[in-house]
Amino acid sequence: MAVDLSMPVLVVDDYKTMIRIIRNLLKQLGFTNVDDAADGTEALAKMRGKRYGLVISDWNMEPMTGYELLKEVRSDEGLKPTPFIMITAESKTENVIAAKKAGVNNYIVKPFNAATLKTKITAVIGEF
Amino acid sequence: MSAPEKAVDTSLDAVAGHIRDMDTDSLSLPDILNLAEIMVGSMQGFFGHVDTAIYKELIEISDFIDTTRSEIGRLQPRNLKDKHFPEAGLELEAIVQSTESATNTIMEQAELIMAADPDDMPGYHDTVQGAVMEIFEACSFQDITGQRISKVVSTLVHIEGKISSLADALGSALSEESVEEETAEEKRKRELILNGPALDGEGIEQSDVDDILSEGASQDDIDALFD
Repeated sequence: MAVDLSMPVLVVDDYKTMIRIIRNLLKQLGFTNVDDAADGTEALAKMRGKRYGLVISDWNMEPMTGYELLKEVRSDEGLKPTPFIMITAESKTENVIAAKKAGVNNYIVKPFNAATLKTKITAVIGEF
Repeated sequence: MSAPEKAVDTSLDAVAGHIRDMDTDSLSLPDILNLAEIMVGSMQGFFGHVDTAIYKELIEISDFIDTTRSEIGRLQPRNLKDKHFPEAGLELEAIVQSTESATNTIMEQAELIMAADPDDMPGYHDTVQGAVMEIFEACSFQDITGQRISKVVSTLVHIEGKISSLADALGSALSEESVEEETAEEKRKRELILNGPALDGEGIEQSDVDDILSEGASQDDIDALFD
């Protein structure tokens, strides 16, 4: 089944420029419905009010980190199936393993490029 | 037991022996005064030694305080507080502002190019040319940022030198084993695995991440990444 590029995508990052970069890259990839949140708490509130087809989140944010958001999402029956990609400068093995254990679908190390983003999104939600 | 203490002990033994040998029922005042004299004489050496030892200790403490005061003075704490720290803070703020400003300019110009209509070739050409020039200009932030970072690094080196000389001067008085209590911020970072960006060679590559996340990755593969 083809991916619906109009599905809502949530980008979570406390750095406005990074949100802008990811928004533009998603736009280039064809996604038309992109929301954003500045941290895990705001993202969780948005996710509880709207069903997202994909969440792309940073790790290091305050007050709620992307890692905490991921764990909250996976422990919530309603949100559990949401595809979740972490995009972060946290590049220690322990971070990747912790994210994997918490149920992340993919993990992108910053700095990243458009090709990597496309490859990882495809791996998570399918060809588009 | 120190030599003066031993001397006192011996004198007291002698006095005790003397008293034992005496007919205590018929002790006269001169006898008692005599004994007191012996006692005072034997204790004088001891107290004299104690006085000297305390005096030496106090001199050492006084010297230590003088050295510490002098080294702290050399640190120029007021200069650090009023000049070096605020200046370094301002430089770092300026770095954040200039990189943010340059990034915004570059992104605005890139968005202009993305939005330009390629069907209108002359207009498209002008938009791309103008945007590329703006991007080149914005990239000049790197030169100024580099200079600002050099100033901050100089400040850090200055502070490091001052603290090192203080540590050297205090020497063994500083306990290397003192364990700092973990702050709430440090606890949060540890629990939420907030390591921050890694330096070159410290973090792992995207391909390593992909290996960890791949279905076929075994524990051995993951363990190998820790080697």
